[in-house]
Amino acid sequence: MSTRAVYGIVVRELVRFLRQRGRVLASVGRPFVWLIFAGAGYAAVFAGRNEIDYRVYMAPGLLGMVVMFGALLAALSTVTDRDAGVLRMVLVAPIRRGTIALGKVLGATVLATTQAVTVSVLLLPLVHLRPSLAGGLLALSAVVLSSLALGALGLVLAAGIRSLENFAGVMNFVVFPMLFLSGALYPVRHLGPVLRMVAYVNPLAYGVDLLKHALLGAWTGAGYGGELSPSLDVAALGVFAVLGLLAAAPLLAREGGVTRTAFRERA
Amino acid sequence: MTAAAIEARGLGKDFGSIRALDRLDLDVRAGEFFGLLGPNGAGKTTTVHLLATLLAPTRGTARVVGHDVAQDDLAVRRAIGLVFQDTTLDRDLTVQENLRFAARLWNLPARLAVPRIDALVRQFGLGERRDDPVRTLSGGMRRAADLARGMLHEPRVLFLDEPTAGLDPRARRSLWELIRRLREASGLTVLLTTHYVEEAEPCDRVAVLDHGRLAALGTPADLKRDAGVASLEEVFLARTGHPLAESGAA
Repeated sequence: MSTRAVYGIVVRELVRFLRQRGRVLASVGRPFVWLIFAGAGYAAVFAGRNEIDYRVYMAPGLLGMVVMFGALLAALSTVTDRDAGVLRMVLVAPIRRGTIALGKVLGATVLATTQAVTVSVLLLPLVHLRPSLAGGLLALSAVVLSSLALGALGLVLAAGIRSLENFAGVMNFVVFPMLFLSGALYPVRHLGPVLRMVAYVNPLAYGVDLLKHALLGAWTGAGYGGELSPSLDVAALGVFAVLGLLAAAPLLAREGGVTRTAFRERA
Repeated sequence: MTAAAIEARGLGKDFGSIRALDRLDLDVRAGEFFGLLGPNGAGKTTTVHLLATLLAPTRGTARVVGHDVAQDDLAVRRAIGLVFQDTTLDRDLTVQENLRFAARLWNLPARLAVPRIDALVRQFGLGERRDDPVRTLSGGMRRAADLARGMLHEPRVLFLDEPTAGLDPRARRSLWELIRRLREASGLTVLLTTHYVEEAEPCDRVAVLDHGRLAALGTPADLKRDAGVASLEEVFLARTGHPLAESGAA
């Protein structure tokens, strides 16, 4: 395992992201758009119940959403790398496929975590949430673990895809069910058994649950805090991250990605 | 060094029902300038990708500077440089950033990488453009930057896969000049693939590939003498029964 190679891959992901100003602004602005529009709508539905302000309830879910978009969209670079040929330079380097996958997932983790931390600095005071030190640290762990799990999932999705259009289509198909079945907008436990089953194969559900443990501890009694045990959340996110890494590594080097297409074009 | 730079025995690759490379036997000596000549689809790129461990052989074996491509792929990739047909540089990063990125991938510590990048950038005429994004470079400069990337880790064997595709004549000449100087300076083994006969002329030896098969192998002079013809173009026709069709850029 070459740590220098992993570092090089992570640095490149960061540099590329920071040069795309629109993407940087969108990543920070997106949760506030949801806070204003979805927040207003759901708050109206919630009206009359005084246990929790809906915008407070929404805050952990919004952070989860930032992580989801940050980590999944980071996988864009894998699609463009394949398209532009950069992946070939990486594949001909004397490093293992797993090193490349790890670099990509850690890159996604750094991006998504930075975005989520930036957003929380703005969002939490806005909704008057002041987590304790322990809560803050637990929230940070939730963000990092979710970023790892979702970064790995994004890489698996991106590793087999050749075109940006296709990637955008797949992402739209994945992102919204993942968001709605995460507990970000409403508690998962009120869903029917089938949807609840689906929610529990959704990595984001564990991330949001852990964020609720971290930030909404005061409302646990009222039924708005985390629903699963924090250690189950941590374990599930860890399993998703490891499975994703293992699945992505061979997909990155699939022959189709390097020579076979070239051969078809020429044949 | 006495070991062959490249040894292939019965090397072959199928893509489904397409036989891209049949059974290739090849020995390239250390320090040799070796050409793989053939039309598009002859199996040249497949051969390079097999030797560079980017593809797994369907049959046969190959060793590059003594390392088996199937069993010791990391050692093979450490020993080789590969310049692909199309650029592999990140167009949004500068020349310098691309070379730094490559240096990290090849596990070169900064104290080695920084002076090497400086030297290569100067040697390849990229000094003034090193902080410009690659997308602003001309095709010739981009190719020079690709070559710098391929030479950064000081490989013993350099693969050049159709390196002049899409370049204008002046950029081609300066690329060949760079490659000639690299060979003279370090005794580098170069395996070149091309469908331009004039690019195969200066090679020490040439293998003619057609439809995934080796059609002829020898020095350009021997090939012409044995076929009783005056040019490699005619050698190709004599050995395969059809002309080396492509004449324009790929």
